[in-house]
Amino acid sequence: MALLRTAERTAVSAAPRTSRLGRDFWLGYALTLPAFVVVVGLVAYPLGYAFWLSLQDIKVGGQGQFIGLGNYARLLLDSESRIYGLFWNSVKVTALYTAGALAGKFIIGMISAIILHSQIRARHFWRTLLFIPWAIPAVVSAFTWKWIYNDVNGVLNTLLTNLGLVERPILFLADPKLALWSVLIAAIWQGSPFWTMTFLAGLQAIPRELYEAAAIDGANPLQQYFRITLPLLTPVITVTVMLSAIWTSNAIQYVYILTNGGPANVTETFPLLAYHEGMTAYDLGIASAIPLVFFPIFAILIYFLTRRMLRQEG
Amino acid sequence: MAEAIRPVESSRPGERGLILWLTQKNRAYYLVGYLLLLALALWTLFPVYWQSATSLRADVDLFSPTVTLVPRVLTGEHYEKILGPSYPFLRQLRNSAVVAVATTVVSTLLGAMAGYALTRLRFAGRTVLARLLVYAYLAPGTILFIPLFVMMSRLGLRDNLVGLTLAYLTFTVPFATWMLMGYFRTVPIELEEAALIDGASRWQVLWRIMVPLSGPALVVAAVFAFTLSWNEFLYALVLLQKQQVMTAPVGLAAYVVGDQYYWGQMMAAATIMSLPPLVIYLFGQRWVIAGWTAGAVKD
Repeated sequence: MALLRTAERTAVSAAPRTSRLGRDFWLGYALTLPAFVVVVGLVAYPLGYAFWLSLQDIKVGGQGQFIGLGNYARLLLDSESRIYGLFWNSVKVTALYTAGALAGKFIIGMISAIILHSQIRARHFWRTLLFIPWAIPAVVSAFTWKWIYNDVNGVLNTLLTNLGLVERPILFLADPKLALWSVLIAAIWQGSPFWTMTFLAGLQAIPRELYEAAAIDGANPLQQYFRITLPLLTPVITVTVMLSAIWTSNAIQYVYILTNGGPANVTETFPLLAYHEGMTAYDLGIASAIPLVFFPIFAILIYFLTRRMLRQEG
Repeated sequence: MAEAIRPVESSRPGERGLILWLTQKNRAYYLVGYLLLLALALWTLFPVYWQSATSLRADVDLFSPTVTLVPRVLTGEHYEKILGPSYPFLRQLRNSAVVAVATTVVSTLLGAMAGYALTRLRFAGRTVLARLLVYAYLAPGTILFIPLFVMMSRLGLRDNLVGLTLAYLTFTVPFATWMLMGYFRTVPIELEEAALIDGASRWQVLWRIMVPLSGPALVVAAVFAFTLSWNEFLYALVLLQKQQVMTAPVGLAAYVVGDQYYWGQMMAAATIMSLPPLVIYLFGQRWVIAGWTAGAVKD
């Protein structure tokens, strides 16, 4: 044993750094095996299984029948089927919801980050405060917003009525024109701290000298922002947008709790439609097919993100 | 803009007069900055305030037609009720804690093992595995919940906290591994070499040198595993149908009886279940932010 180690030491002393520490591949496999089992057994296998389910006509508790791409055809092409309209509606709602949430989180995140990065007093205190929504469980804040929006005794409506601004309560969550906006505001409230954080980290990485030089050249703060800050922040913005696009479009809590997809399906994003089809209509085939239709989009985003993350790790 | 709104200590408004102060270069930006900050603070705090204020109000006060932003009478009745024996809330909190702690322990352990191997050992398939972990971390739960529901049903692990813990490992193990890999890489390799020369085994090196040196990173991994599991909703909603095994987030919806919402009780439960992540965040901010920048957060 000792001999082996000495041999190893002399053999690798000239080799590059990482290889200096031996080639214990058995230990390598042993240590990674549990994590590998989790990834394969609980992520890769279910993913494949979802695809297999999506090729079947299968109800909860029933036997599946192989129907090829039948579920996909019903979703995408068969304008006669009930699910066709619901599916394309969910495509539209998901796109609106994701775009709206990303825009809102971008604006609030950017403003917060810029303010937190400037020389304000008690910066640490303000940062702590603005990140609080992240620490609140999403389910909790969804119910809190539902209570704020409530048409009978919700604080928003009581306030508006008492101030004489409205005569009848506004149906924030039941009016088809307003529901998606109301849900968006709650989702933006919870999601913007993540953007603030990444933007703040990005701002801190920009060298101060650039601003000093620009100031000497007479650039005003707005010019400095658009000529220095924004271009240098672009990589951070790109990653944040991609990550948030995946997470936002897949988040189910707000739509489920605030409106459950209603009124008239105006807030039924695709995860919620999949949930309804699988858990209340018991159609596992369709419920598996719905998210898989979106899978290529996520796969592309995940591919680019992974490449970036691995490159960062070096 | 950020750089330009730096104040000069000697020229605060009180000392020179507001108008003069405002006419100075870039003062306007500074003022706008503070006004925006105030607005952001109000927007951030109001729902949190409203949630806790509601939990402390009597029902008569909650359903009065005039708005009172500050409660007139404070009462602990909602807390008393939900913590009492006729409510499943305490049990659901316990379920949440069991699942979150189990997930945290398992994922930190597996993450440390895999993270060590992936940064320090050379074996075929290492890079493929690292890549797989990132893919797994980013894979959305909405694609996995139906197959996991069917799998857990077949395995008899539905309405079972073990089944839920397994489901949570799908995102906590990849994250913990990823996070720890980044940290292990920064630990000087010489310490391990010295120990190996002195005859320590790899296994000993991992537990006696690497793990003690990686305290902060392990805390970050644990904090995130705990918070993500404590707050998780979708898997819990799908996998748990019996009230006795529900975790607190799913149990919260049970305060809705038909069209009747018991807002006081619900907000009391909501306030209690917000406390663990909030306390962790307020006292462990350093670690939370470290993990945040490592890409830990689902927004």
